[in-house]
Amino acid sequence: MRGRNATLKSIMPHPMLRAFAMLATLVVTALSAPVAPATAQTTTIKVWLHDHPPRVAIDKAIVAEFEKANPDIKVQYDVIPVGEYGQKLLTAFASGSGPDVFMNSSLLVSQYQSAKILAPVDFAALGYADEKALTSLYLTGFDGIRFGGKIYGLPIEVSNWVCYANNAIWKEAGLDPEKDFPKTWEALPAVMEKLTKRDANGVPTRRGFDFLWPNRNMFWFVQSSMFHQQGKEMVDPQTGKIAFDTPAGQRAVQYMIDHVNKYRLGGPQYGDSRADLLAGRLGTECSFGLFGIPQMKTANLSYTIRPAPRFADAVNDNGFDAYAFYMMVNARSAPANQKAAWKYARMYLDRSVELFEKAGLFVPRQEVLTSPGYKSDPNIGLIVDELKKAKFAPSIPGHDQVVDILLKGRDQMIQGGQPAATVLPAINEEMNTALARARARAGG
Amino acid sequence: MAANAATGAAEAAGEAGRPPLDIRWWGLWFVLPVVVFFAVFSVFPVFFGFYLSLTDYDLLSPPLFIGLDNFRNLASDKLFLTALVNTLVFVVGATLPVWAASLAAALLFDQVFRGRDVVKAIFFLPVLPPAVVIAVIWRLLLHPNGIATSTVGWFNGISEIPWLANTVLAPLAMIVVHDWAAIPFFMLIWLAGLTGIPQEVRDAAIVDGAGALARFWYVDLPLLRSTSLLVASLATINAFQSFVLQFVLSADQGGPANSTLVLGLLVFKYGFQYFRMGDAAAVSVVMFAIIMSVTLLQLWLGRRVY
Repeated sequence: MRGRNATLKSIMPHPMLRAFAMLATLVVTALSAPVAPATAQTTTIKVWLHDHPPRVAIDKAIVAEFEKANPDIKVQYDVIPVGEYGQKLLTAFASGSGPDVFMNSSLLVSQYQSAKILAPVDFAALGYADEKALTSLYLTGFDGIRFGGKIYGLPIEVSNWVCYANNAIWKEAGLDPEKDFPKTWEALPAVMEKLTKRDANGVPTRRGFDFLWPNRNMFWFVQSSMFHQQGKEMVDPQTGKIAFDTPAGQRAVQYMIDHVNKYRLGGPQYGDSRADLLAGRLGTECSFGLFGIPQMKTANLSYTIRPAPRFADAVNDNGFDAYAFYMMVNARSAPANQKAAWKYARMYLDRSVELFEKAGLFVPRQEVLTSPGYKSDPNIGLIVDELKKAKFAPSIPGHDQVVDILLKGRDQMIQGGQPAATVLPAINEEMNTALARARARAGG
Repeated sequence: MAANAATGAAEAAGEAGRPPLDIRWWGLWFVLPVVVFFAVFSVFPVFFGFYLSLTDYDLLSPPLFIGLDNFRNLASDKLFLTALVNTLVFVVGATLPVWAASLAAALLFDQVFRGRDVVKAIFFLPVLPPAVVIAVIWRLLLHPNGIATSTVGWFNGISEIPWLANTVLAPLAMIVVHDWAAIPFFMLIWLAGLTGIPQEVRDAAIVDGAGALARFWYVDLPLLRSTSLLVASLATINAFQSFVLQFVLSADQGGPANSTLVLGLLVFKYGFQYFRMGDAAAVSVVMFAIIMSVTLLQLWLGRRVY
């Protein structure tokens, strides 16, 4: 002992240095001391939702109320910026630290379901007798989260797009959107041309109508909607293959090509059509859902909502496809956490009216459909009528890769001028190869 | 003092029956936290990346060891080959012009003229904002009916140019925007090199009757050899690693029709959008090998040029 002190003194001759070393040792020892374990019965669930400022205050109130009603459950609630959410979720699951409760879009849930991340809904924990007791409370919303006959999540927002017309631009062109809005895709170009202003070169200086080209999923949604109108499926339910090399696919794609190259109404080279409508630079836009109403009011825009056009010979009377955000539970969480997570989800769903009226998150639940907020605007009924007719856009594993291939083909046809007859079979095969690989990996 | 300490340590060792901790090793203990940090956050990820490149891994399920299959598949992967070609084109456009133009700018600002510092500060401005901000600004400038089109249209009457929606123009736009921000940065490095050239050598060349061109060719350039190599290496590495510009500025992150898809962007897509982390790691390893080879080649060529 004396020898060791001698060594310390010889190495650290200054008393202050020795004192600092001893203090550091104490701090390290204190930090590494075992922390008193939490109460054995307490379950802590991690809830990750992406940022949506109007919803966060409600989230916090729900957490407080839930913890009060369930003193044995603690909620660790995290709000994650929208742009980082998918990546953070993925890396968390990769490192085994994924949340117990999380949300995602209906387009991406298939990947998570294939990887067996999603726990099937626990009706008992939710407090419902069975699936019917739950789904009968909703007009629609579960088709995007049903796999192999089971449902794996609860809708916290269900959306479908409709068309919004800028009344001032329509009036300036001598048109009334209520009466003159085209009912068919075939009639649309002529009407929209009347709203379009062009320069001497024929370049639109104000577009009458355009699609939301910068949105990666717009093409997927619109194409699928057009397939559905023709009575077909973009992803064949029998073969499981993507069907862009069919007459229905060729017709849907050709419509978009003609919109840009034949009628020159717009195209991928232009900016965000939603922003352009809100800024009064675009006559008509068809990618806002119910969430568009408060945005129109904020922008002080006089608007009219109309259903999406159909093909003149449409087999199905549907507008645009539906999509949803689901609250899901991690199948890899401990059983106690899963039960607690579903209980939390139930409390979340029970606040549907508040989430709709204060945060604009619409779920077609009975109490929402009869709420004062729902009845306050007649346009909401029109949008929900379209939602009743809508099918869900297909969700497949490898969605992003398949969409990228589709967009590459779109660019080759629209901007590269390559004929659809040669591009479509090639990208269709490429998409099916990517899809087969994603399915095989998921199956493995 | 040190001798006494060593003697004391030796005595202590004898008393405790084990060798003392030699004072010379204490330095290592002090740097250990940094070494551990570096090992955990830098060295381990590199080796883990190598390991992942040998697996089939979707991030959601455990990785499956598949040997060199990912590398074999890359040879026939159209997307990878497209990204490789795009990257090489981008690297050429983002290095040679940058090397030459930044040197030219440095030579200009090495001269004494009225308002030099103000002009130099303005010239340096593109270096200051983050790459994301630069990309967003250029997105506005390159709107089909925006300022860039108006400028060109003033000469030829064209009122719409799809800068970012055309498979030829979009990759060129990426190079122009990159170079716009990179040239002022590398100019500073050249300027530092020029400042280090002794004035006596230049004066001697003037006395010998050397003109401006001869002085540059026979005096400045040879003495800027190490600066030249540094600029070439850094510009090449930066260009190979380009990601943010293509991610933010291009249509659909790599479009149109994959014409701006570079290797850095492909790694991101494979890893975080396509759930193909094994392929992403394999592309990263290939990128690493290419960058290392090109840099070594540059260094080797640099030794032999002068």
